[in-house]
Amino acid sequence: MQRRKFLGLGLGVAAISLAPVTAMAKNYRKEMPKVWSIKNKDVENDLSGINEAIKAVFGSDKVEDGNVKLKAPDIAENGAVVPVSFKLEKASKVALFQSANPESLVAVWDIPEGGIPDYGVRIKMAKTGTVVVVADVDGKLYKASKVVKVTAGGCGG
Amino acid sequence: MRIKAKAKDGVVSVKAGLKHEMLSYDIAKKKGKDANFIVFIEAKVDGKPVYEASTSQFLSKNPFIKFKFKGESGKELEISWIDLKGETKSKKAKIK
Repeated sequence: MQRRKFLGLGLGVAAISLAPVTAMAKNYRKEMPKVWSIKNKDVENDLSGINEAIKAVFGSDKVEDGNVKLKAPDIAENGAVVPVSFKLEKASKVALFQSANPESLVAVWDIPEGGIPDYGVRIKMAKTGTVVVVADVDGKLYKASKVVKVTAGGCGG
Repeated sequence: MRIKAKAKDGVVSVKAGLKHEMLSYDIAKKKGKDANFIVFIEAKVDGKPVYEASTSQFLSKNPFIKFKFKGESGKELEISWIDLKGETKSKKAKIK
């Protein structure tokens, strides 16, 4: 049904994607394919993979603490489903990172007009690690981090 | 896909349960399958985007998402996603 609906649009952008998504929407898998492969070092407490991904997504690694409220459990008994949420008054872009998995980037959100950056997701964490949320507020970057202890890893175990 | 959207004081709160295996590269390898997971989720009201997320293999299986935006009840919310293989799914729900 989606294909029929899509073909009916008759737009030139037809060739690019077969999805009922807005032509203007920024799909970071297409726009920044490499950021998703930035790796975390398998070293305890190492956040360099996160910092590299922050720089790649936002164009800068100058990030201040504050402005963003991050909620994640102190202890996650099931690493396959770790609830993470964050909230701030306004932002143009927000991204979530963690140091527990092979790659550091989890998700990127562009906040559309009328959007309110009060979001929640459930993520996988292979082991204990740090979750970091970074937000771009009028060109300035802010972050909040939380260490989540994982008792049963969630990436295949 | 299950969607719950409620408006209060001009703010719509949405909770949505998407159905997807979200097979990460590691797990897919172990199972001898191709990795496949949702890479982009979008929500629209009246054709205008109210939520956009580019996502990775690290979202849990059958991703559950929560988000908010400025809006009112009676309008129709449409949530769509596309995965690594290019498959898409879409569902509409009325904002209560």
